Amino acid sequence: MSDYIRLLKLFFPYKFWMLGGAFLALLTILSNFGLLALSGWFLASAALAGLGGYATLNLYNFFLPAAGVRAFATTRVISRWLERVITHEATFRLLAQLRSWFYSRLEPLAPAGLQGYRSGDILSRLVADIDTLNNFYLRVFTPFLVAGMATVLMSGFFAFFSWHLAIALFLFLSVSGLALPFVAERLGARSGAEMTDLQSDYRVQIVDGMQGMGELLTYGAGPEILRRSHTLNDAILQRQAKMAQISGLGTAGMSFMGNLAIWVILILAIPLIHGGHLGPSDLPMFALGVMGSFEAIVALPLAFQFLGQTRQAARRIFAVADSALPFPDASGPAPKVQQPDLLLKNLHLRYPGGQQDALAGLDLHIVAGSKVAILGATGAGKSSIANLLLRFYDYQSGSAQFGGHELKNFPADDLREYFAVVSQRSYLFHTTIRDNLLVAKGDAEEEELWEALAAAQLDDFVRSQPDGLDTIVGEGGVKLSGGQGRRVAIARAILKNAPWLVLDEPTEGLDPLTEMEFLRDLQPLMQGRTVLYITHRLLGLEQMDRVFIMDEGRVVESGTFAELLKQGGQLSHFATFRNGASA
Amino acid sequence: MAKAERIDQRLMQEGRRTRGALYFGIGLGLAAGLLIILQAFILAHIINGVSFQGLSLAAVMPLLWALLGLFVLRAALSWAGELVAFRASARIKTYLREQLLNHLLKLGPVAIAGERSADIASTMIEGVEALEPYFSRYLPQMALVSLIPLAILMVVFPEDWISGLILLITGPLIPFFMVLVGYAAEAVNQRQWRKMLLMSAHFLDVVQGLTTLKIFGRAKDEIEIVARISDDYRRSTMAGLRVAFLTSAVLEFFASLSIALVAVSLGARLLQVHASVTFFTAFFVLLLAPEYFNPLRGLSTHYHARMSAIAAAKRIFEILDMPLPEKPRQAVEYSPSTEISLVVRNLHFSYEAGRSALEGVNAEFPAGKVTALVGASGAGKSTLASALLGFVQASEGEILVNGQMPLNAIEPELWWKQLAWVPQNPRLFHGSLGDNIRIGRPDADLAALREAAQNAHALEFIENLPDGFETMIGDLGQGLSGGQIQRIALARAFLKNPPLFILDEATANLDMENESLVLDAMQKLIAGRTAIVIAHRLATAERADHIIVMDAGRVAESGSHQELLAAGGVYARMVAAYRGEIHV
Repeated sequence: MSDYIRLLKLFFPYKFWMLGGAFLALLTILSNFGLLALSGWFLASAALAGLGGYATLNLYNFFLPAAGVRAFATTRVISRWLERVITHEATFRLLAQLRSWFYSRLEPLAPAGLQGYRSGDILSRLVADIDTLNNFYLRVFTPFLVAGMATVLMSGFFAFFSWHLAIALFLFLSVSGLALPFVAERLGARSGAEMTDLQSDYRVQIVDGMQGMGELLTYGAGPEILRRSHTLNDAILQRQAKMAQISGLGTAGMSFMGNLAIWVILILAIPLIHGGHLGPSDLPMFALGVMGSFEAIVALPLAFQFLGQTRQAARRIFAVADSALPFPDASGPAPKVQQPDLLLKNLHLRYPGGQQDALAGLDLHIVAGSKVAILGATGAGKSSIANLLLRFYDYQSGSAQFGGHELKNFPADDLREYFAVVSQRSYLFHTTIRDNLLVAKGDAEEEELWEALAAAQLDDFVRSQPDGLDTIVGEGGVKLSGGQGRRVAIARAILKNAPWLVLDEPTEGLDPLTEMEFLRDLQPLMQGRTVLYITHRLLGLEQMDRVFIMDEGRVVESGTFAELLKQGGQLSHFATFRNGASA
Repeated sequence: MAKAERIDQRLMQEGRRTRGALYFGIGLGLAAGLLIILQAFILAHIINGVSFQGLSLAAVMPLLWALLGLFVLRAALSWAGELVAFRASARIKTYLREQLLNHLLKLGPVAIAGERSADIASTMIEGVEALEPYFSRYLPQMALVSLIPLAILMVVFPEDWISGLILLITGPLIPFFMVLVGYAAEAVNQRQWRKMLLMSAHFLDVVQGLTTLKIFGRAKDEIEIVARISDDYRRSTMAGLRVAFLTSAVLEFFASLSIALVAVSLGARLLQVHASVTFFTAFFVLLLAPEYFNPLRGLSTHYHARMSAIAAAKRIFEILDMPLPEKPRQAVEYSPSTEISLVVRNLHFSYEAGRSALEGVNAEFPAGKVTALVGASGAGKSTLASALLGFVQASEGEILVNGQMPLNAIEPELWWKQLAWVPQNPRLFHGSLGDNIRIGRPDADLAALREAAQNAHALEFIENLPDGFETMIGDLGQGLSGGQIQRIALARAFLKNPPLFILDEATANLDMENESLVLDAMQKLIAGRTAIVIAHRLATAERADHIIVMDAGRVAESGSHQELLAAGGVYARMVAAYRGEIHV
């Protein structure tokens, strides 16, 4: 419940939209009730007046009920249309609000606070959760609110005639609207959950089958895939058959309850009319009124289904939104930097939840304008230096000075202005090449973009595309080759024009020839900048002023590439692979 | 529009498969509809009796019991209808899923490489699922939409022809206007939904790229962009929806207004001294009026089901319509041999017109020798391997097995039994590690499994896992490293132990220890066998018996490592580049 209250608080700015939509929905239902009930009464009273002869005929006001019938019909048509327009409009506004709110909570957390959510799966589930929450208003909030109010109002109308009838209608609507769907939802919940699991199994099987088809076919597993698919399909259908039974019972039960309500109301009302407590024309009104009243609860079975879904989604979303900030950001003006030197002394950095320090007493001095390589195996702590510099993670002890000021004193956004980064993780957005470049410099002119592309050696390719700069790069940049994607990252770094260039394993995942060309084309970009080249490969180290070899979070050797080669220490170990045995 | 109708026709053809269940479902629906008329008749009698004839509860009680019986019967019919409808669609779903998977397997890995696997999976799961309402609701409703109102008209006309006329005129106007407004709305809707998908995708995109945005100091700006795109999207969607909602407004307009019209006209005629209609007739007709429009109301609901079914069916038929490769020759008897050599003659292949991948390849792969394929990406190495694997059919030229048998005359299943294929990024399948290695020989015992793993340098790390070979893929937490996956793939090949190996060496930069283990296992696997290796590492090419250098879909040169170095051609330049002699 508290999750819903919180959700409603989030939606508070849109209360008029929400309530407006609900009011129109209520009006639609009430006008149908009114149309049917009034028609029934009108026919009976007109017939009575007709039978009564001229005396009663002249007293009978034909126009008021006739106009009422027409007014209810017209109201229903208009309010139905308006209701749908308004509730959908409200839904979109709420979705936008939810997304903005969630993004503003997520943004300060990235990346340290989102470590557990890094995989695409979990992120996409969160995004899907937002979409699910969006159903809360249209499919949960409005149906329950409207059903409740309509039930009270319609029963209240019956109470003018007889308390018994009012109570009977109220009970029937409540039981059919709440108890019946609740029971159906409970009964179906297990099959539903099993089906979700089976479907995700099925998806895994098919994705396996498609992505690994070459292997499966050559290993003779084709018939096996077909067999497994058949089994899973059967299992899914079996659950669905069960759910169809339950939902069939729900539907049939709902309409039966509606009919039973008419029946009970008749049993209660007939003696009242026979005894003269109520007029004869009230009976058809009751019968038709009850028929119309059940429209109020038609949406509730679906609402119960969404209730469970939105509760889960809200819980997950709020859990992420409530995560504590990994570490406080410095406030106030950034310290002035004259000379962007980096000096690390006995620095310790441990990731949240980590067993040991990723940087364990690191000493490192990088003078502004120099080109430095950090060489080491996976897990030696190389990339942690980049995480430290970008203030993605906090350090626990030791000193890290940038331009003579402790890193902790820089607001993270100000610190990041000193660094341009090219890494395998440089993300390409699923939009145009232009927009991907503008990420680095929002106000860049077209000409600047082309210059950056030229420097990154990507201009010919972009020019050869029919859409030029407006070529869509595809999801995660799939429409570009690995090398081209990395070149977009270079072009961005050029546009950013920062004093430091951090190359974090920039050729990871590229094939050797592409790697060679890529490193060659990076050269011009390095001119006049401080370069930090993080790698576990020996390629391109000759150009560096100094090479640091890292192991277990510390620098174990350093010197120029030539010196290190001569010493024959750790470096020679790196040199035996990749190149031929004779190297 | 014509297109949607064509898909409709094709779907109905599929519907024949389950014709019996469909007709039975329609029959149940019709019976329930006729019971409604009877129910209205009894109800009108009861009310007329009490209000106008002064009958007591006891006097109408038999009628009330009959009414209750009808209610129970109707509920039973409705429940049965639901089950029959489900059964009808279940058959079709099973059939289509099997067709799809069969077709995809026949198309082979290269033909479907362009299709995204996630997309195929959702077509097979949600796509086929979206057809259910089409068969279980839309089609039966289509039949009932004319039958039930017709039955009601037949009852109403003799009772009161004026009301009958009102219903007769307004009824058909509804589908007419719905078609008028609805079709336009359909196109608008489909466009909007696609945009909606993009919007959700955009948000996911931004969230995934958050770290990159932060590096560029743009993360805080993006919130405005998210808001702006949401807003743009809302505006354009609402413009479409406002029109689309007119469909339901039209329905409501005719349904509500004609009920009002029937009521007012009946009321006016009742309000006479010698009324031309009785209350019984008037009330009976009034009870039937909403029921007359109910099937139409249902139709508009299921119209949406039809729309999503058509969208899904379009994708399903697209896949089913992808042409299978032609088998140019009659399959001949092929007896498996223990030694295989291959000769490639003047092989041509293009993925699509104008994008040719192989342009007259001539090559020989002698038995018992390791041949390395070398060349830049796009040179045609993978395509040649695909042709040797039988995944693609050459447009010209031929591949001869053991000097005489054309490859495309051999049944693929037979050919695949003769070889093992290790791709660049091998895939581990849902199941245990043991199952993954046993994939080519499901009956292999533990000893054979351990031996294969041992040969592939995979035994040690597998046995260090708490569950060993029983460890489930997916329960591995962090997952396996690239090198470990490679070694499992090699273990598969060791276990299968066929006469021919086709390998695509990993390009990923494995860490050093892994790299040496993988290379060592691979050398052990292929030494002294007929093997074709797409080499990305110089060391691999160097150790091969023979090297074929490919360039732009042709063989540029071939020979041993030393010969090619001495020749000073493409290969020699590549070697120089690998060794870093060209300064970067």
